Amino acid sequence: MISQFFVLSQRGDNIVFRDYRGDVQKGSAEIFFRKVKFWKEDGEEEAPPVFNVDGVNYFHVKVVGLLFVATTRTNVSPSLVLELLQRIARVIKDYLGVLNEDSLRKNFVLMYELLDEVIDFGYVQTTSTEVLKSYVFNEPILVDAARLPTLGPAAIFMQGTKRMPGTAVTKSVIANEPGGRKREEIFVDIIEKISITFSSSGYILTSEIDGTIQMKSYLSGNPEIRLAFNEDLSIGRGRGSIYDYSSSGSGAVILDDCNFHESVRLDSFDTDRTLSLVPPDGEFPVMNYRMTQEFKPPFRINTLIEEAGPLKAEVILKIHAEFSSSITANTIVVQMPLPTYTTRVSFELEPGAVGQMTDFKESNKRLEWGLKKIVGGSEHTLRAKLTFSQESHGNITKEAGPVSMTFTIPMYNASKLQVKYLQIAKKSKTYNPYRWVRYVTQANSYVARI
Amino acid sequence: MSGHDSKYFSTTKKGEIPELKEELNSQYKDKRKDAVKKVIAAMTVGKDVSSLFTDVVNCMQTENLELKKLVYLYLINYAKSQPDLAILAVNTFVKDSQDPNPLIRALAVRTMGCIRVDKITEYLCDPLQRCLKDDDPYVRKTAAICVAKLYDINAELVEDRGFLDALKDLISDNNPMVVANAVAALAEIQENSSRPIFEITSHTLSKLLTALNECTEWGQVFILDALSKYKAADAREAENIVERVTPRLQHANCAVVLSAVKMILQQMELITSTDVVRNLCKKMAPPLVTLLSAEPEIQYVALRNINLIVQRRPTILAHEIKVFFCKYNDPIYVKMEKLEIMIKLASDRNIDQVLLEFKEYATEVDVDFVRKAVRAIGRCAIKLERAAERCISVLLELIKIKVNYVVQEAIIVIKDIFRRYPNTYESIIATLCESLDTLDEPEAKASMIWIIGEYAERIDNADELLESFLESFPEEPAQVQLQLLTATVKLFLKKPTEGPQQMIQVVLNNATVETDNPDLRDRAYIYWRLLSTDPEAAKDVVLAEKPVISDDSNQLDPSLLDELLANIATLSSVYHKPPDAFVTRVKTAQRTEEDDYPDGSETGYSESPSHAVDSGASPPATSTNAPYAAARQPSPVSPAQVPDLLGDLVGLDNDNSNNAIVSIDQPTVPAGPPLPVLLPASSGQGLQISAQLIRRDGQIFYSLLFENNSQIPLDGFMIQFNKNTFGVAAAGPLQVPQLLPGTSARTLLPMVLFQNIAPGPPSTLLQVAVKNNQQPVWYFNDKFSLLVFFTEDGRIERSTFLETWKSLPDSNEVSKDFQGIVVNSVETTLDRLTSSNMFFIAKRKHANQEVLYLSAKIPRGIPFLIELTAAVGIPGLKCAIKTPSPEIAPLFFEAIEILLKS
Repeated sequence: MISQFFVLSQRGDNIVFRDYRGDVQKGSAEIFFRKVKFWKEDGEEEAPPVFNVDGVNYFHVKVVGLLFVATTRTNVSPSLVLELLQRIARVIKDYLGVLNEDSLRKNFVLMYELLDEVIDFGYVQTTSTEVLKSYVFNEPILVDAARLPTLGPAAIFMQGTKRMPGTAVTKSVIANEPGGRKREEIFVDIIEKISITFSSSGYILTSEIDGTIQMKSYLSGNPEIRLAFNEDLSIGRGRGSIYDYSSSGSGAVILDDCNFHESVRLDSFDTDRTLSLVPPDGEFPVMNYRMTQEFKPPFRINTLIEEAGPLKAEVILKIHAEFSSSITANTIVVQMPLPTYTTRVSFELEPGAVGQMTDFKESNKRLEWGLKKIVGGSEHTLRAKLTFSQESHGNITKEAGPVSMTFTIPMYNASKLQVKYLQIAKKSKTYNPYRWVRYVTQANSYVARI
Repeated sequence: MSGHDSKYFSTTKKGEIPELKEELNSQYKDKRKDAVKKVIAAMTVGKDVSSLFTDVVNCMQTENLELKKLVYLYLINYAKSQPDLAILAVNTFVKDSQDPNPLIRALAVRTMGCIRVDKITEYLCDPLQRCLKDDDPYVRKTAAICVAKLYDINAELVEDRGFLDALKDLISDNNPMVVANAVAALAEIQENSSRPIFEITSHTLSKLLTALNECTEWGQVFILDALSKYKAADAREAENIVERVTPRLQHANCAVVLSAVKMILQQMELITSTDVVRNLCKKMAPPLVTLLSAEPEIQYVALRNINLIVQRRPTILAHEIKVFFCKYNDPIYVKMEKLEIMIKLASDRNIDQVLLEFKEYATEVDVDFVRKAVRAIGRCAIKLERAAERCISVLLELIKIKVNYVVQEAIIVIKDIFRRYPNTYESIIATLCESLDTLDEPEAKASMIWIIGEYAERIDNADELLESFLESFPEEPAQVQLQLLTATVKLFLKKPTEGPQQMIQVVLNNATVETDNPDLRDRAYIYWRLLSTDPEAAKDVVLAEKPVISDDSNQLDPSLLDELLANIATLSSVYHKPPDAFVTRVKTAQRTEEDDYPDGSETGYSESPSHAVDSGASPPATSTNAPYAAARQPSPVSPAQVPDLLGDLVGLDNDNSNNAIVSIDQPTVPAGPPLPVLLPASSGQGLQISAQLIRRDGQIFYSLLFENNSQIPLDGFMIQFNKNTFGVAAAGPLQVPQLLPGTSARTLLPMVLFQNIAPGPPSTLLQVAVKNNQQPVWYFNDKFSLLVFFTEDGRIERSTFLETWKSLPDSNEVSKDFQGIVVNSVETTLDRLTSSNMFFIAKRKHANQEVLYLSAKIPRGIPFLIELTAAVGIPGLKCAIKTPSPEIAPLFFEAIEILLKS
């Protein structure tokens, strides 16, 4: 069980502090912050999420720049505490629409009320927004969401795509809209984070997709929902399979492993690949999945390094978008560490390039190339001329790289997992809530070795 | 409600408190509510608003739940500082606990349980009794937790009022939330009680396993953790349990998954069918891997646990090594853990892939990560004989890049590889020597020097190389100096030519006359004497064949691993330390009596945090944690590794070298006060033996000095101890080298207890027999001090001290007056006692006398509770002790008299 819960700002200010058991001293927040800020142990400069100072165990997670912290003196389950901290952040987000220092401070009374229902004497009671609704009476005071950066995976929809109503994801689940009526709508987001490592010759060494189907329901009366996936979906791969699904060869979507939210019923999953659930209020993952089956990478990266004399070299980076031309990736950043003795870099973009920026970060000797968007099927090239302060001994490839990339591709998913339909149990003929099914793919660790 | 709560933080020019007081007594509800919010806001930022107690409590009688909750929040905060006024709230609490609205009933009980004021607690019992049987599950689940709260304040009350039985009844409740909270409360109560309260029978087990499916995710964790203490009767029952727990592995909540893994691993120990075990291993792999897709914080916890799991069941993840490859955006703490696991899973089958990864990591930017990657390559070389050559070629490639810290790290691991595979890879020495001048870190330098010394005969210019280091000898760190000394001696023994001869003069001079480092000086003198008396013997000693080292990547001690595996999914498994090494539970009830938070502010946000009065004083032994500390834990000295004089010569003298080396940091010979002579030369035909039982680093040694004053060399020393009260005996053979006439040898013989216990009245007499090949057997008596038995873990918590004192009958109390002892300073006395493992607990003044309370423990956990009474500066000390073994008291008095008189 935990003793205290608190939220600190980036500067270490106490925003919320609740003591549940009184067996940890009051100054713990200060001790914690000092320790995290000046962490230097075992040669590491970043504090691990769990550590012990003078018999007090501190847990923390970082959520949008805030530190969510719990303390205890007992030998508790660390995954329980860390998961709890994440969930508290999610509940607060559900209530306030936006999670930041400002919204927390404005709603401190609500925070205490919530925290008293979420935890009693250090034991988690519930973290379900749906359940909490019936015990919590303070109404959230909403902050102006328009200007604020948002939290959570859904935030990525805020950019680049005009199909979504921009403010929906920062809307409180609890508070009513101006005018007293709530808009009936439900969001289903299929969010995939892909990790790929290419070898220097362009082969895929490792590849993985971490996917999650995130749901956020603003439907009144909690109607039942059915979600149907593509029928060639199967779970468990290869001979190590623990499931009795026969994998049907090529084309099929085979997940290594997946898990479901507790509200999900899987009665007909085996027969027709549908899930049914009564979504609780608030944002929650319907399903998490992991896939290592081969998939087509959205980008190919080509790196060429040519030495041009003892103190000069040229780097040519080529990015080829492998996806269909109807899709556009955005906020692409390509990075590449250069040899430490690099002193100057001059860049040459393709003629007519728009919305691209280049930079050489002197402090960590890193080349950065940013592209606002890349249309499917296109190719972009960057030439960078490097000047060195010492001879490179022909070792440039060993001292530079790997090339890494971050990007977001809306309406694209690499796994080919699809939501075939989203059915809402009808209350009446006129009941026709908005349904938003959105796909997005992001780079987690997208790396090409050189 | 309109506007922003933050407006309550703003202050007005008028006095704030009187203004709030006025508003709290307003006739308008809304105004009162706003006022209470302002009060709470002030409380949050650490302002003292306790003077408004009566006014706030007056707002308590309201139907408005929002307002009621605020008042309760205030009460929890200030009731302790205003216990007399808190009683005003009792009536409302009791009334609320019978309110028709279940939320109000629950709120009343929940809040009363949080107010640690006796007067309130008295009134809690009746409402609690009712609420435990309430119709509404929300009330029952709140009441269940409240029993744990009450137990923390007043355990007796809980037992007397039969709350424990009521709580046990709730295990069969039809609401899973209630069941989960009852389990949590019972588990906590059990942990703080010595009596069996919550024992899991096969009946409760099956009931709880059924409840599991209905519970919320958090409830599932409570139940799984409670059930993990259950020991199945046989393999069949274990299989049944596992079958019912396995579906939990698919849960989205990582805590549920890990707790289920723990439960399954535990039951697997009982399962005999290899098919079942294999199948379970297969089932556990995907969920464990999926944990690595969670947030980095969870990944870290998962990795620390997986590290333990693969040590016991390597097959689970043997095929999954790829998922442990580092992603470039992993936080450093995740990367470091992944490296550890990659080493553990590396095998002949996947080593090529793994090496490719390590090589890639070794060129990244993060220096610490790069170093660890290079080291990882070396550890794989040591672990996998067939892959050693490939590992070395990767290391050589890395050296060629000439990145300074990569080269240094590579040299350190190559030294270990040489020790693992002697006479195999020395051909690469030439390449290493090229990087000589770039070395600037002590460990790398020391390693390189060791290599040069060890292979001096194969390096043509070894003398030149060493000479280049000698110039800066006085400025080098001790580690490098020691290596230089040894390497030069090796060089001289291998190439006794003029150059090395001169060098050795310089080194010996530097290391004896010029230095003030005793270790260096001692070692230099030993060499000097060896070289001057018998160069051949010196060769035998210095150039002796070294034991081959082994891989340490599975290094956790088996018994520690067992304990940690039983604690999977707890903090223990993250720190890799047993729970009692870091859990310092402070009983809250006791704390409240002693602690006095001046402002009583719940939110402790005041400028001067009042943690000075942290009576939860944890023993200094629990140092700032390092999750990696496990790797640094000294491995228990096995009886075979007897520390001896030449230990550091025979081993690789690199004291700070990494832990790939088999324990080389053996205790050095004490340079303390001379040992008492037990066998004078006159009675030992020229052999003189001095000895004393001593305690060092938590272990008992017999420190012996043999001096050969006879005319013949003596060898083949053996030692035997007669039966004695504590069963003191040697843990291994006595290791004394041949003693030439006129020479002497010191040794530390590790001792064990409880071997041959002599019946009869306790005594500290030790009868010793020593023999050698040349003389008759010598018998002598030694009298040791009981203090050597006092263990380092003798500190007893204050509450335990009181409990133990009370629980022991008066007949166990023995006291004695020492007229000859003068306490001149309490501090120095305490220091002296602490250094003998008697730990200070409390002190009080009685008239002009100081009364000190201390605790100590002898092996097998027998405590000594000590009370010392003395007036500072005046002769006379009264010592009273209470212990379960009062028969040892005379020995204790004997020891303490010697300690405090000296």
